Amino acid sequence: MLSINAFNTYRIPQQLKYFKPGNLQEALEILESVEGAKVIAGGTDLVVDLKYRRVEARALVDISRLSELRFIKLGDGYVEIGSAATIREIAESGVVKEKLPLLAEAAESLGSWQIRNLATVGGNLCTASPAADTAPPLLAYDAELELVSSRGVRIVPLGKFFTGPKKTVIERAEILRSVRVPLTPRTYGWCFIKLRRTSFDIAKVSVAVLLRVEGGFVADVRIALGSVAPTPVRARSAEKLAIGLKFEDAVRVASERVAGDISPIDDARSTAWYRLQTSKVLVKDAMWRAYERFLGAGAWR
Amino acid sequence: MYNFVGRSFPRHDGFAKASGLAEFTFDIEVPGMLYGRILKSPYAFARVGRIDTSSAEALGAVALTPDDVPDKLFNPRLLSVEEDTYKDWRVLAKVPRYVGEPIAAVAAPTEDTAQRALEALRVEFEEIYDPILDPFKATSPTARPIHERILRGGRWVEVRNNIAAELRYSEGYLETEEERSSVVVERKFHVPRRYHTQLEPKGAVCKLEPDGTLVVWTTTQTIHNTKILISQVYGIPMNRIDVRKVPLGGGFGSSIHTNLVTLIAVGLCLKSRKPVKLVLTREEDMVHDHVSFEFYMRVRAGATKDGSITFGELENVIDVGAHQVQAYPILGTSLGWFISLYKWRAVRYYGRSVYTNKVPSCAIRGYGAPEITWAVETVVDELAEELKIDPLEFRLANYRGKGEIFWGQGPTVKSVIRSDGVPELMARGSELIGWKRRESPKVKTGRFRRGIGVGRGFHTSGAGGPLSGAIIDYTGAIVKVNEDGSVDYITALQDHGGGTLDAHAKIIAEELKIPPSRVRIVWSGTSTTVYDVCTHASRGVFAGGEAARRAALEVKKKVLEYASRILDAVSPEALRIEYDRELDDAAIFVEGAPDKRITLSEVARTAWQRNWGSISASVSYRATVAPPSFTVYFVEVEVDTETGVVRPIKVVAGADVGTVISPELAAGQIHGGFAIGWSWAVGDEVSYLENGVPAHRMSLADYKLPTSMDLPSDDDFVVVFASTYEPYGPFGAKGLGEAASNPVIAAVANAIYNAIGVRLYEIPMTPERILRAIKGGD
Repeated sequence: MLSINAFNTYRIPQQLKYFKPGNLQEALEILESVEGAKVIAGGTDLVVDLKYRRVEARALVDISRLSELRFIKLGDGYVEIGSAATIREIAESGVVKEKLPLLAEAAESLGSWQIRNLATVGGNLCTASPAADTAPPLLAYDAELELVSSRGVRIVPLGKFFTGPKKTVIERAEILRSVRVPLTPRTYGWCFIKLRRTSFDIAKVSVAVLLRVEGGFVADVRIALGSVAPTPVRARSAEKLAIGLKFEDAVRVASERVAGDISPIDDARSTAWYRLQTSKVLVKDAMWRAYERFLGAGAWR
Repeated sequence: MYNFVGRSFPRHDGFAKASGLAEFTFDIEVPGMLYGRILKSPYAFARVGRIDTSSAEALGAVALTPDDVPDKLFNPRLLSVEEDTYKDWRVLAKVPRYVGEPIAAVAAPTEDTAQRALEALRVEFEEIYDPILDPFKATSPTARPIHERILRGGRWVEVRNNIAAELRYSEGYLETEEERSSVVVERKFHVPRRYHTQLEPKGAVCKLEPDGTLVVWTTTQTIHNTKILISQVYGIPMNRIDVRKVPLGGGFGSSIHTNLVTLIAVGLCLKSRKPVKLVLTREEDMVHDHVSFEFYMRVRAGATKDGSITFGELENVIDVGAHQVQAYPILGTSLGWFISLYKWRAVRYYGRSVYTNKVPSCAIRGYGAPEITWAVETVVDELAEELKIDPLEFRLANYRGKGEIFWGQGPTVKSVIRSDGVPELMARGSELIGWKRRESPKVKTGRFRRGIGVGRGFHTSGAGGPLSGAIIDYTGAIVKVNEDGSVDYITALQDHGGGTLDAHAKIIAEELKIPPSRVRIVWSGTSTTVYDVCTHASRGVFAGGEAARRAALEVKKKVLEYASRILDAVSPEALRIEYDRELDDAAIFVEGAPDKRITLSEVARTAWQRNWGSISASVSYRATVAPPSFTVYFVEVEVDTETGVVRPIKVVAGADVGTVISPELAAGQIHGGFAIGWSWAVGDEVSYLENGVPAHRMSLADYKLPTSMDLPSDDDFVVVFASTYEPYGPFGAKGLGEAASNPVIAAVANAIYNAIGVRLYEIPMTPERILRAIKGGD
């Protein structure tokens, strides 16, 4: 642990070079050639970490204004979101609200208005906090990430992106270009809920659910959780057991079996015991809410 | 009726604050100023050896070590009389006793250089001891003494078993009363350390005038006590220190005492001979500077079958941390609140303040009253339930009201209660909350359960009294009419941001019959004001407002005297004064003689032109009573029994503050009082790791406060003012600040119990704790 005298949160106590590249190619070149360079977009996590000296950097490469990274596009069978799209842009996007309402709901609940104005989806994912609000919905949607470097492009499923708290497969000279979310042709109900200490807080537990019911039986359910494991996770075993059951039974089974899909810990925000108890409750609540929406008109296509 | 009292006016500083123009300590810049940083002890208990400052000085910084400051013990709080002031602090510590205790400091021309210089200081620790964090282990005879001897006034006192202070008290025949009792309830309560979260982190800016006078701007609730302490520690005559008043971003008790940061800034300024600014970061302020007291209480109380309270016993162990701010006085006020709540026929009290190797505790809004009130109001609710008596009736039959003695701030501050709005607030509040629909928790089912609870509390209005006592409490005011009839109001009394000084301006305006906008609140300093003790104890309007009124009254006498010369009246007594709406000025006139009428502005101008002299008054005022302001809060909550989450549904907040000077500001205080009380009841706490480092709580990201979204909307928050009049207050007013928060924990706790049928005796009542309590009860 750094000494309590080693930081002054009025200042970033390190000398930093600041780069504002004009395009993605230039950003990649700087990242490749400048030692200790880090990508900054909204800075809502990175600036705090720099002040606390949890992260050491020598240079910052600001990608927040790159139009190549700041878009939300409806393609044929998918929605693509540039990594520098802000959380507010996502929450307010007509395309996202219509096609990815689960993501819109999560984005709207992230942080505060001021944070949503700055924070980006790329930053939210690359910071790799287990509590990242956009992760559970994107996991439920089976999103894929496009990572670029001067050596080329690779596509990584979001489910394989996170490797631990604050850890991902991204390499030092790589930049997340976009998040690609495949659309399924059928109707789904959706719900994102979370428990927080106050209405402006990082989640203790968050749950995202996509649900399709046919004739009273669960045809498909996707459950993803945040803050209850080293990374945001899909509750695969709970999903598997719930599919094919009558909805009410599926809720009971999923809510019980989610315990096997998570591994919560004690931290500043909550205890492992409480996270386990409430994960069950939130899965139940989210499935019911998704079901109500599924029955309603505004279901996801 | 009044012209201005009871009506709402724009605040004098409203625009400046809303637009960001107001200058707080943090905003003050002096040419040539150095920036200071404090070297904080990384150990909870250690002995410092050599401090090598050469690398820091090589960077161009000035370094301050314990050898550069007077080796003098002091208590940063100067409210108690000297013989009751326990002194165990030094400006910089050679034996740091908590993580974060200042060991040294630097000042440099830029913030970055200062930070680098700070990191360049090399400190050798001769010894590092195991910290003592538990107040019960601390009193073991084998525990290492945190302090060996301290000063009480000028006298050395040995500290035994790490006990910082003790107070015992008893009255009546407790055993006899217990025998008479048909029910007895005994409970233990725990209140953790909490952070004040005042809006403005602590800081100070100092400079030396060419004549050597030290000018200080700082976050303080008392400029005069800051001046006196600087004088005591550094040996500077008081007329060579001018502590200037600057707007304060809240205090909530955290700046009743002079902040250590102020004394360190003075040290840096005196050594460098340059202006110095030293401001804590939010993290330093919350983790290393101050917290509230931690209470371990045991309450035992009884009542007879017909519902009259018999006896009350309170054992009160307080963990004060590494130094004394109010370790002794808090024992007295705790007793005072306890004894004044109900008509106990016998009382037994044992209070003990214990040293631990943690951040020093200081008063937080309510000064023990919210905590004691929670414990007592819980036990009282339980007594009523056992006796099957309505909790409201039980309270009305047993509380200390009109004609009874109120203890205010402890055994030396006693007053007879002359205004009491409790019956009115109980009646109106129970009606508005729908008390009749309140059901037993036993009949409640379902996941979401609602409950209604009541809490009755009070707070003193100041610490005045007929006898001098152990606390210093007097104030002063200067009112000056300018040559055009505008008025300057000059006071040392600090406004924490609640609008206290706007209330004073209104009181002056009411007395002089001029519009409040004509009264300018002058930002002054210790050199240009007379003594005021401190804005604390909810005394701002009651004591300070009365001083302002008395100064205005003297000014009015002069105005009338001069007017009688102008109007040719036989004497000033022949004149009347009223507010002339058309002229927007005071009019002085002879009744029935329309040509004998003159405005206050004309009187002022005439006095100037005819060489009659200034119209002004300087008043020093000591209140001879400290009347209680009563508050009765009804709260309805909803508990999610599957997650333990509590949500406020409705609040009916009743306050008896005598005459309400500013209804909107007073309602604002009540909303704020509820918010802070809600955060104590269900919010957050400061806890520690084994090495004495605060656990997890490094910033506001992890010490959570309720936001407006977590609190009831305006529609669900009803404020009720009792129609009372306090004969000793300015125009009948009493205090409010602390009374506004004192019954909140109690009301919320009783509501949670009424919802789920399980009581929690530990705050905060977090969802985790509530869920465990519910599951344990299954």
